[in-house]
Amino acid sequence: MPDTQALVNDFLNKLKKRKIEGSQATAKQTAELLRSVISQTRMPYTNQAAALIHSVKAVGERLIAANPVELAVGNVVRRVLHIVREEDLSLTTAAMAGLNLSAESDDEDDTDRDNHPALSAAAIAAASRSTLRPPSLQTLLEDVPDSAAVPHTSSSGGDSEGKSKSADKSSRSRKLKHDVIEAVNELIQDISTCHELIAEQAVEHIHQNEVILTLGSSRTVLEFLCAAKEKKRSFRVFVAEGAPRYQGHLLAKELVTRGLQTTLITDSAVFAMISRVNMVIVGAHAVMANGGVIAPVGLNMVALAAQKHAVPFVVLAGSHKLCPLYPHHPEVLLNELRSPSELLDFGEFSDCLDFGSGIGAPLLHVVNPTFDYVPPKLVSLFITDTGGHNPSYMYRLIADYYSADDLVLERRTTSGN
Amino acid sequence: MNRVGLQYLAGDLSGGNARCIAMLQAFQEAIRDYSTPPEKTLTRDLTSKIGGFVSFLIECRPLSMSMGNAIRFLKSRIARLPLTLSESEAKTTLCSDIDRFINEKIVLADKVILRHAATKIRDGDVLLTYGSSCVVEMILLYAHELGKQFRVVVVDSHPMLEGQKLLRRLVVKGLSCTYTQLNAISYVMHKVTRVFLGASSIFSNGTVYSTVGTASVAMVAHAFRVPVLVCCEAYKFHERVQLDSICFNELGDPDAISKVPGRVDVNYLDNLTDKQKENLELLNLKYDATPSDYISVIVTDYGMIPPTSVPVIVRGYRKEYLLI
Repeated sequence: MPDTQALVNDFLNKLKKRKIEGSQATAKQTAELLRSVISQTRMPYTNQAAALIHSVKAVGERLIAANPVELAVGNVVRRVLHIVREEDLSLTTAAMAGLNLSAESDDEDDTDRDNHPALSAAAIAAASRSTLRPPSLQTLLEDVPDSAAVPHTSSSGGDSEGKSKSADKSSRSRKLKHDVIEAVNELIQDISTCHELIAEQAVEHIHQNEVILTLGSSRTVLEFLCAAKEKKRSFRVFVAEGAPRYQGHLLAKELVTRGLQTTLITDSAVFAMISRVNMVIVGAHAVMANGGVIAPVGLNMVALAAQKHAVPFVVLAGSHKLCPLYPHHPEVLLNELRSPSELLDFGEFSDCLDFGSGIGAPLLHVVNPTFDYVPPKLVSLFITDTGGHNPSYMYRLIADYYSADDLVLERRTTSGN
Repeated sequence: MNRVGLQYLAGDLSGGNARCIAMLQAFQEAIRDYSTPPEKTLTRDLTSKIGGFVSFLIECRPLSMSMGNAIRFLKSRIARLPLTLSESEAKTTLCSDIDRFINEKIVLADKVILRHAATKIRDGDVLLTYGSSCVVEMILLYAHELGKQFRVVVVDSHPMLEGQKLLRRLVVKGLSCTYTQLNAISYVMHKVTRVFLGASSIFSNGTVYSTVGTASVAMVAHAFRVPVLVCCEAYKFHERVQLDSICFNELGDPDAISKVPGRVDVNYLDNLTDKQKENLELLNLKYDATPSDYISVIVTDYGMIPPTSVPVIVRGYRKEYLLI
C-alpha cells in the first residue's frame, strides 16, 4: 500500500506540473498506475467489485483534479471502472449459470426456500445475460419477465446457499482481480498500438497525387502519412506551422526525412492555400461525446476554411481520446492559457504589462490559449483504431467503452443529513 | 529614387499608403530635377524615364495595387499636358498635380473615412484588427480622442509580426488592448463586436486583397456573426477581378518562415541535410483574397458602400480625376 501511495503521489506531481507530453503517454501511465492500485487493493469477501471500484475512484478523482484539461486521464479511469463492472458481471453470470444447474439438480430439498432464491438467481442471471449480450429474436419473443432490476452484486442471491457458495466466492474474488488486471493489460496494449491500427487505414483514404494539409504536429498524423507513403502513394503535404509552438516545423522536418514532398506554410496562408488541397488530416487532443473535437489552437479556423471550400476534414484519434462528457463552454473550461512570453518579448512591453501605471490595471492583456473547439458539424470523418466513423456515431462508441454510472466521478459530500 | 527603392527592399517602408506617397514624392523630385534633352518631346521622354524608375522599383519589390494606380494617374497626366506649355510650366503643373493627388486621394480621403468609421464605434465595443493598417490605426486613435470607451484586440501573425508595432503605438496613447496571434482567433472572437480591416486593394468583384491572414479573420468573424468593416481609400480600387489568392500574389522571403525572432527554443529548421532540403519547400505568401460575402461594408471616401458597389465606383467615379 505505501508503495502505490508513493507512485500515485509521484504521478500526481507530474500531472500538476504538466511534465507529461501527449495524451497517449498520459493514458498509458494512468492505466499502469491504476493496474498497480488494483493489484494492491485488499478484497473483502463480499462486494469485491464495489471495493475495487471504490479504490479506483478514490485515486481517479485525485488524478483528474491534478490536470482537468488532460481528458485522457479521466477517460482511462472510466475505462478501468467499466472493465471492473464488466468482468464482475461476466463472472456473476458464469457463477449463476453454474448455480442454476446445481439448484435444479437438488430440487427435492427445501423447495420453498430454494425456489425463491433460485428463481431470483435465475432472474438475475437472465437479466445480466441480457445486458451483456445483445438480445436474440428468440428471447425477445419469449418475453422475459420484469426481473430486469440491475444486478448490483452477486451476494444478494448467494447468502441462502451455504458452503458451496463461500468456496465459489473466494475463488471468484481472486478470479475477479485476475480478470480485471488482464483486461487492463489489454487496455494498455490497445493504447500503445493505436497508431498502427489507425495508420493501416491510410491507404483507403489517400490516393495518388493528392495534396494533404495539416497544422502543427501529431504523431498519429505522421504515422498515417508515412504508412501511405510505404504503400507507394505519392502525394504532397502542406504543413501549417502552428504558432506559437511552431510544431509544424518539427513535423515538416520529420516528413522530409522520410522522403515526402512537404511545403511549410504560415498559418495565415491556410485560407489562401486550401483551395488547392484535397484533404485536411489532423490529430486531436480529445473527442467529446457529441462528436466535437478539442484540438490544438488554430484548427477551428482550418475547419471553417475547409468547410467553405468543401474539403474533407478528417480527424485521427485513438480510442483513449474519446471522452464521455459533453462539452459545455469548451473554449474556457477545457482550455489552458500558456505563457505570454511565447507571443511578446517581456522586455519590450514590460511598461504596458505593469499594474503600477495610472489606473492601476495593465493596459495590455496577452491571450495565448492552447486548445480550440471544433464543433461536430465541421468534421467529415473520425478515424479511430476501430475504423472510420461519422461524428454523429461517436456517442455510440461511448456506450461500448464506458458505464453510465462512472460519468460523475466526484463523490458527493453528505449534504447536511 | 534609389533611397526609396532601397527602403522598399529593406522592408522599412511598408503599407500601401506609405509606399505610394513615398514613391510619388520621389517622382516629384525626379520631375523637378528633370530637363528635356534636345530633339525630344517632354511627354514621351518623361514617360519613358518614369517607366525606367518604375522598373527599378519593381526590382526592389513588386508594386502594390495603389502604386500601380498612382503611376497610371501620373502617366495619364503627362500624356494630357498641352503642347503649348513650356518645360518649367509643365514641370510645375505636374508637381502640383501630384500634390493634389496625394492631398485629395490619400490625406483628405483618410479624414473622411475617419469620420464615417467613427460613427460605427459605440461605447463598450470590442474592436478587432489584424496586422497593421495605417487607416485602422487612425480610426482607433480618432475614436479614442472623441472619448469613446472601447477595447482593441490586435491579432498578429508570423513572420511579419506587424501587430506589435501597432500595439506599441496604441498602448502609448492609452488604449486598452489585448494581443494575440492568428490561431487564437476563434477564442477571442466570442467577445468581439466589430472587426476593422485595412486593404491593399479591392477588386471589381468585391474581393478584398490584403495582408495574408485577413481572409481567415473575416471568415471566422462571419462564422461568429461579427460585422466586418474594411477601410480603404477609393484610389486603391482596381478593375481587375480575382477569385482566389493563388493566381496573383507576391512571394516573400522563404527563410523568414524558418526563423522565429526572439525564441531560441523553436529553431527546428536549422541544420537541414541536403536530402531534407530537396524535399522541403518554404512558401511565404504576402497577400490573400477575401471573398466579398465575408465583408459587411467598405468604408471609403465616397461613403460606406457594400462590396457589390465597388465596380460602380471604379467605372463611374474614377474618370473624374483623370479629366481634371
